[in-house]
Amino acid sequence: MTPTVSASGLSLRYGGTHALDDVSLRLTPGVTGLIGPNGAGKTTLLRVLATALPADGGAFTVLGQDPATSAGRQEVRRALGYLPQTPGFHPDFTPFEFVDYVAILKELTDRGARHREVRRLLEQVDLGEVRGKRIKKLSGGMRQRVALAAALIGDPGFLVLDEPTVGLDPEQRMRFRELIAQAGEGRTVLLSTHQTEDVAMLCHRVLVMAGGRIRFDGTPAELTARAAGRVWSSTERDPGAKAGWRTGTGSFRNVGLPPVGADLLEPTLEDGYLLTLDEAEVSA
Amino acid sequence: MRLTIRELTLPVWRTLPWRGLAASAALGLLLAGALRWGGGDANGWPALTLLRAAVLAHALGLTFLLDDPARHTTATVPTRRALRTGLRIALVTPLTALWWTAVVLLVPSDVRPPVGDVTLEAAAACVLALLAGAVALRWTNEPRPGPSVAAAYLLTAVVTPHLLPAGWKLFVWPQDSNWHAAHERWAWLLAGAVVTLVACLPEPVRRMRIGRRSRTLSPSGV
Repeated sequence: MTPTVSASGLSLRYGGTHALDDVSLRLTPGVTGLIGPNGAGKTTLLRVLATALPADGGAFTVLGQDPATSAGRQEVRRALGYLPQTPGFHPDFTPFEFVDYVAILKELTDRGARHREVRRLLEQVDLGEVRGKRIKKLSGGMRQRVALAAALIGDPGFLVLDEPTVGLDPEQRMRFRELIAQAGEGRTVLLSTHQTEDVAMLCHRVLVMAGGRIRFDGTPAELTARAAGRVWSSTERDPGAKAGWRTGTGSFRNVGLPPVGADLLEPTLEDGYLLTLDEAEVSA
Repeated sequence: MRLTIRELTLPVWRTLPWRGLAASAALGLLLAGALRWGGGDANGWPALTLLRAAVLAHALGLTFLLDDPARHTTATVPTRRALRTGLRIALVTPLTALWWTAVVLLVPSDVRPPVGDVTLEAAAACVLALLAGAVALRWTNEPRPGPSVAAAYLLTAVVTPHLLPAGWKLFVWPQDSNWHAAHERWAWLLAGAVVTLVACLPEPVRRMRIGRRSRTLSPSGV
């Protein structure tokens, strides 16, 4: 399958810190999750791929377009939707006015068609009824959906979402998952998140990032499988465990190298993620 | 492009920081109007001081002009930032010209300093305010740098006259033999500010590097 995004050797430094260190990846249609600790370089990678920030080195293409040239960058931007980590709005705009403004910036100049598209997207993100209300009067979840609608304008082939569910309550997060799943049908979505449940439920593929490098690239099932035989239950916290915590039942759930005869548990994606980060720390 | 500009004009008009601009313009008018009611002396220097204070007030408002709370949300759209920024400036320029006309007319004609020269000072001060905002946008990631820019601008405006050597004075009085020389310097300052402002209008500086840097990195020109 031809990749939507193909990147090789991306690097970027902030002072002495490698925000991106020789990152190579290929993204295909579907939702790809990007997880990693704070400071791993997730946002930097997303901003580079969204053409919001140039890399110091390396190259990439989006939908066959080369953002290194001015014309290529314009083409990439026409085919791109980007929801930043902290989306900002003109607070006196209504959702309709704001998404319409972004639509104009995305060069949708036929007013009638544009307005129909804006209305359709606002309905899609469940904001149809508040489309005339000022953004400053909307809840955080609603504002995130305004930003998602703005990212979806122009039917982008590549959608970059930077922690879209942060700060949302569980119900809003579930709703957002539905929207992201819909958005991922037939297009390539790169979703940065701290929520491993989001990855487990939404993504066909997951990238784990730490220290500016991709530490894992595979399916969620493969990441989970990394923890097979390495999660166990005990009555006390096992001092040999990489991580361990008391669960609601009173027993301890331990992740690491289990002792002989340990009561093994079914691993989760989060267990695989924790072990991958641990291995990344050891190798660093 | 023409279609985009036409469609953009109204929303960009609505994104302008009207409250700040109106407040600074009103303060400027009040300062200029104070002379009409308070009177001025024959030398006209209180008039000039008040006119300069009015310009400073309005310039402080203009430092907020390029603030864009939606900067990050609209960072990766195909319409270039230079167009949006240029449109903002183009929308405010005629209003600023009208405001300045009103300010000048508020000053009684018998104490009014040479209008052309003072207009040159006002134009330079306003362009420098816009330039300060553009530089902040270009070199920082801040969507609303206005407050910091205004503070820096005010500090510079207050401190600079005391730091400039005698041969470089900008703020002189009409009776001063250096009046014309000072206004030549104002003209150069205005020209330099305009050129630098235009150079600062395109994409923020790190974003510009993508083309140049990447072209040298890939054999395929990536």
